[in-house]
Amino acid sequence: MDGYAGKIVYADLSAGKVLIKPTPPELKKLYLGGRGFGIRLLTDMVDPKTDPLDAKNVLVLAAGPLTGTGTPLGSRYEVSTLSPLTGAAISANSGGVFGWKMKKAGFDAIVVSGKAKKPAWLFLDNGKAEIRDASGLWGKTTGQTTDAIQNELNDKGVRVACIGPAGEKLVRFACIINEKTRAAGRGGVGAVMGSKNLKAIAARGDQMIKPADEAKLKAVNERVKKKLEENGIEQALQKYGTAVLINIINENYVMPTRNFQSARFAAAEKVSGETMAATILKQNKGCYSCIVKCGRVCNVDGELGEGPEYEPDWAFGPDCGIDDLKAVARANNICNEYGLDAISAPTTIACLMEMAEKGYVKHAVRFGDAKGMLALVEQIAKREGIGDELAEGSFRFATKYGHPELSMSSKKQELPAYDPRGIQGYGLATATSVRGGDHVYGYMIAPEILGSPQKLDPYVTAGKPQWVKTFQDLTAGIDASGMCLFSSFALGADDYADLVAATTGMKVDAAELLKIGERIWNLQKLYNIKRGFGRKDDTLPARLLNEPLKEGAPSGQVSRIGEMLDEYYTLRGWDRDGVPSPAKLKELGL
Amino acid sequence: MTGAKDHVTVTVRAFATLREVMDRELRCEYPSGVTVGTLLRDLVQKYNGLGALLFSDPETLRDYVNILVNGRNMEFLAGLSTPLADGDTIALFPPAAGG
Ligand code: SF4
Repeated sequence: MDGYAGKIVYADLSAGKVLIKPTPPELKKLYLGGRGFGIRLLTDMVDPKTDPLDAKNVLVLAAGPLTGTGTPLGSRYEVSTLSPLTGAAISANSGGVFGWKMKKAGFDAIVVSGKAKKPAWLFLDNGKAEIRDASGLWGKTTGQTTDAIQNELNDKGVRVACIGPAGEKLVRFACIINEKTRAAGRGGVGAVMGSKNLKAIAARGDQMIKPADEAKLKAVNERVKKKLEENGIEQALQKYGTAVLINIINENYVMPTRNFQSARFAAAEKVSGETMAATILKQNKGCYSCIVKCGRVCNVDGELGEGPEYEPDWAFGPDCGIDDLKAVARANNICNEYGLDAISAPTTIACLMEMAEKGYVKHAVRFGDAKGMLALVEQIAKREGIGDELAEGSFRFATKYGHPELSMSSKKQELPAYDPRGIQGYGLATATSVRGGDHVYGYMIAPEILGSPQKLDPYVTAGKPQWVKTFQDLTAGIDASGMCLFSSFALGADDYADLVAATTGMKVDAAELLKIGERIWNLQKLYNIKRGFGRKDDTLPARLLNEPLKEGAPSGQVSRIGEMLDEYYTLRGWDRDGVPSPAKLKELGL
Repeated sequence: MTGAKDHVTVTVRAFATLREVMDRELRCEYPSGVTVGTLLRDLVQKYNGLGALLFSDPETLRDYVNILVNGRNMEFLAGLSTPLADGDTIALFPPAAGG
């Protein structure tokens, strides 16, 4: 055994057929799993000219070899597809229990192609797979869908990944939700699922997943567990959840506020992780085999929900000028129920707020209007009223009204919760991210703000391209392994490599893991070039490049990605346009 | 009373677990020339349990502890020797992260 479930299921919804094939050894060796499997299978199967919402696009859900093998934080699966928001080949990551169940059902990956004639769901049942009728599920929320499938099967143990009404309505940033609250959030993976008339995927089974070297894995697991338990950052994650970042980022004067018009929110304390812990937090919660348990179960006037995590907390809060934590938590719950990305939905609303305040769009909503914000979230999910236009994402919306510069996005995907003007390396990481505006494809906030693994001056550009490249490659490797990225505050490349080697039996050291990551990154890049992406797209909104910050220590600064881009390309072995050189491709076996 | 010129008044803000052992915000007055190091040693004297949260030994901060002076990490100023000026705000963070 090698940590893999051993099979990939191909569901052709147009033909109504499923096919089960062994997981190819070459795929394991070169791409490991998760994001690696997804990007390889996607780019092999889909013509680069394909429209993301066309039946010819495919959707790949893939776990990694460390998913569900008992390694702490080995909980993740990755969804890869062509994004209807950015147009790029992307992946989105989720935790919870679904990834483990998928492997218990016998599958390393699920490849969905075509389009069902009527609503369907896919049932993975202990080595078998079948397409079932979902007519009765269409229109239901993610919670209702999960309950309905569990009831139909009379099995609470079956795990469900599904879309809500937003995915059905092809909202360009609809997400996929598993276990009601865990999201493969970004890039509109839920819209692709909706375009295929696929409402849900459910998995159960009791297949054994065994590592290659049980004794060695046990020893590495012990070492890793100790590091995680002793690491101060991981301890804080458990106590305050990711929202502990609200005060940290705000005190650094890099908290995007009111659609990035400033970088400090005076009322940040009211929506902080500390306030959450003291008010609405009921308990913390973890994904499969997690000892950190950063998830938040919150009680808002009797309504139980999970989250908000830092990103939605910031986006519905400071970015919309809102300091009402309960409203933020409610908005986050609506996103989970309707299946909306809780970063792009609120940041698109923030874009509308600025456009409305400036008189570019006629709408009553203003910054700080919690009630108006809550109504807009539902309207987006249902594509009602102005929600129908906002469902296209902030870039298309702002462009339609003649002000694309007010969309705070990169490659048409909304930027997350950090102002690049005061964090130079992060700016480069998000501008060059192959999936568009992003923070988890290379989390430069760790060294530049949090001091992990070491403190880097956030205002300096020198040396950052190398850091960005290394972080991006390592993250791709971690995403392929099935580990949660939050483990990386305590673990290094050697730890992941040892885990992978003990689990798979393959010869993997830190250098090899980074190489696998680099291969995935370059494959994604290469394919996106075929889809028309280039140097012009590795950029940030003009506001962040030209309008200096006005408050606190980073006053006067803009993002200086121009100083770093050429060096970054050179380090990557790419030409001036960002095209991988033949030598680099040969080195990576692409 | 000493003349205002001889003294500086600074605001200290504490976050996350630090709030379990100290006030979340306080104003402190010091003779001018005070450094971040003096301020921290003073706070450690004042608040039981703070020392263990901030320092691994008397001169070394614990890994991932971040001290900001007006939003700038003191690491990129003069570290514990960073001088404080009247009106400065010092933010104290224990190890913490998110994403
Ligand atoms: S650290 Fe948080 S997100 Fe990661 S596996 Fe644990 S509970 Fe899930």
